[in-house]
Amino acid sequence: MAEKRPDRTLGGPHSEFWDWCAKGELRLQRCSSCGQLSWPPVESCQHCGNGSLSWERMSGEGKVASWCTFERDYYRGVLPIPWDCILVELAEGPMFLSNPHGFTWQEVEIGMPVTLAFVECEDSSGVFNLPVFARE
Amino acid sequence: MSGYGAVAMPPASRELSRKAAIIGVGETDYHEDYKAERTRPPGYEAPELENLLQKAFDRALADSGLSRDDIDGLSVSYTYGGPPPDEMAQQLGIKPRYAAVNGNIMAGPLPRVCAAIAAGEADVVAMMFGVASRSAGRQFGGTTFPPGQTGAPSSYYYYHPWGWSSQAAHWALMFSHYQHAYGAREEDLGAVARQVRDHATRNPNAVMQKPFTIEEYMASRYIVRPLHLFDICLVNDGAVCLIVSKAELARGGAKPPVLVAGWGESKVKGDKMEVMVRQRLRPVIEEAGSQALTMADVSPSDIGHFEGYDASSIHLVNQVEGYGFTGAGEGLDFCKAGSMDVGGRLPTNTSGGNLSGAYMQGWSQVAEVVRQLRGEAGARQIAGLQASMSSLAQTDQAHPIIYVRGE
Repeated sequence: MAEKRPDRTLGGPHSEFWDWCAKGELRLQRCSSCGQLSWPPVESCQHCGNGSLSWERMSGEGKVASWCTFERDYYRGVLPIPWDCILVELAEGPMFLSNPHGFTWQEVEIGMPVTLAFVECEDSSGVFNLPVFARE
Repeated sequence: MSGYGAVAMPPASRELSRKAAIIGVGETDYHEDYKAERTRPPGYEAPELENLLQKAFDRALADSGLSRDDIDGLSVSYTYGGPPPDEMAQQLGIKPRYAAVNGNIMAGPLPRVCAAIAAGEADVVAMMFGVASRSAGRQFGGTTFPPGQTGAPSSYYYYHPWGWSSQAAHWALMFSHYQHAYGAREEDLGAVARQVRDHATRNPNAVMQKPFTIEEYMASRYIVRPLHLFDICLVNDGAVCLIVSKAELARGGAKPPVLVAGWGESKVKGDKMEVMVRQRLRPVIEEAGSQALTMADVSPSDIGHFEGYDASSIHLVNQVEGYGFTGAGEGLDFCKAGSMDVGGRLPTNTSGGNLSGAYMQGWSQVAEVVRQLRGEAGARQIAGLQASMSSLAQTDQAHPIIYVRGE
């Protein structure tokens, strides 16, 4: 059964990002001018402002750069508390805020390698594939 | 560009240094108002923003020794809206020739007013700030910022599907990484929250005045691990008024003028999470600090007092380290050694900051700078103080301001 989640940001490049996730692919936008990746999705490069971007598939490999755990219910019952988040440094460079999959904050070590997984989720716009990270 | 969003500072320039001085400050009764809101005695009514603003203005005017007729400028800054300049002027009984809407947080507003005074647009400006967030039931976190809302950094709302939101979560990511990078423990960070609270015990208007021990800090609940309740700032209602004068007119008054000597502004470029979490905004804070020090023509060792934006204890550490008062990764030891206490190398957030004093989005820190540089800070007075720095620093930008005591 799909897990309930707070609403995604949709429209324009945001919807494109989730369309790739639906196909089981994590893709970020690479700038054809400066060559750098932007995240979250942008209309023009977050580094140089160029508007020519292409969706590049990430390897799905990364390392935990930081973590935090919500003990306060900011989403008013939508998510269970405590709620774990990790910040993953993708092998390609960008920092990607996500959730640990199959482990908790007690098992997190900064620098530990993690690998991409998708979980089926649902928000008010429907069912979607959420990119999360499991231990290698 | 003016408006109720955050406004940019005018570029730092030597020509604008020491051209204007703060000559009056007024604040509302943070402690009493918070207590009343919490206990709600019979007949309690949440304070109206207009009444808070009036009280702050009346106190600042009395503090300045001026009359209403001396004020020819007005600047208004509100977090969640408030009376526009024409209505505010009418309420306060002033006739400003300069009237501006100047954002909200204490980043751009003061330098903009200094620049307006230097340009001859006004001689004496009443700067009004007010926020009625607590009585409005404001909650920070969750779906506070709807998708696409302008003015909110993308990190504040983008990560909802992963269940990540709130200002506190930004600081939590920073501290988890800090712990890893420097081997810091939670109780080490507790020393910062405890130090700021200790200052608040010496400020009769601080919202929170009860001291706590490191053991009590460790036993307090977590908001977002690894941060405890005491690591996160207050939410309270209030208003601040600053009366700012052309420097020449401020000389020889009953109280020493507080000259605005320098400022700086820098924002994250590129990957925000990388700069925020792993670099703890260091390049941003360094660049803004360097602009302000150059403009003011002072060195960090000249600054004897710091008022940082302690939305979280760890963010205060980011600023103390980033401006070069101590080395990267040394901020917690700096605090534990007493360097942030009154009498230490850099007394920091001496009225209790945002953690224990009041959350006035950087404005109450400026009021404390004025009291300290005048020698009016009572039980928490720093001896022989000549120069202070305040700093508004968010999750993606930094705005330091340097002040010196005038004659």
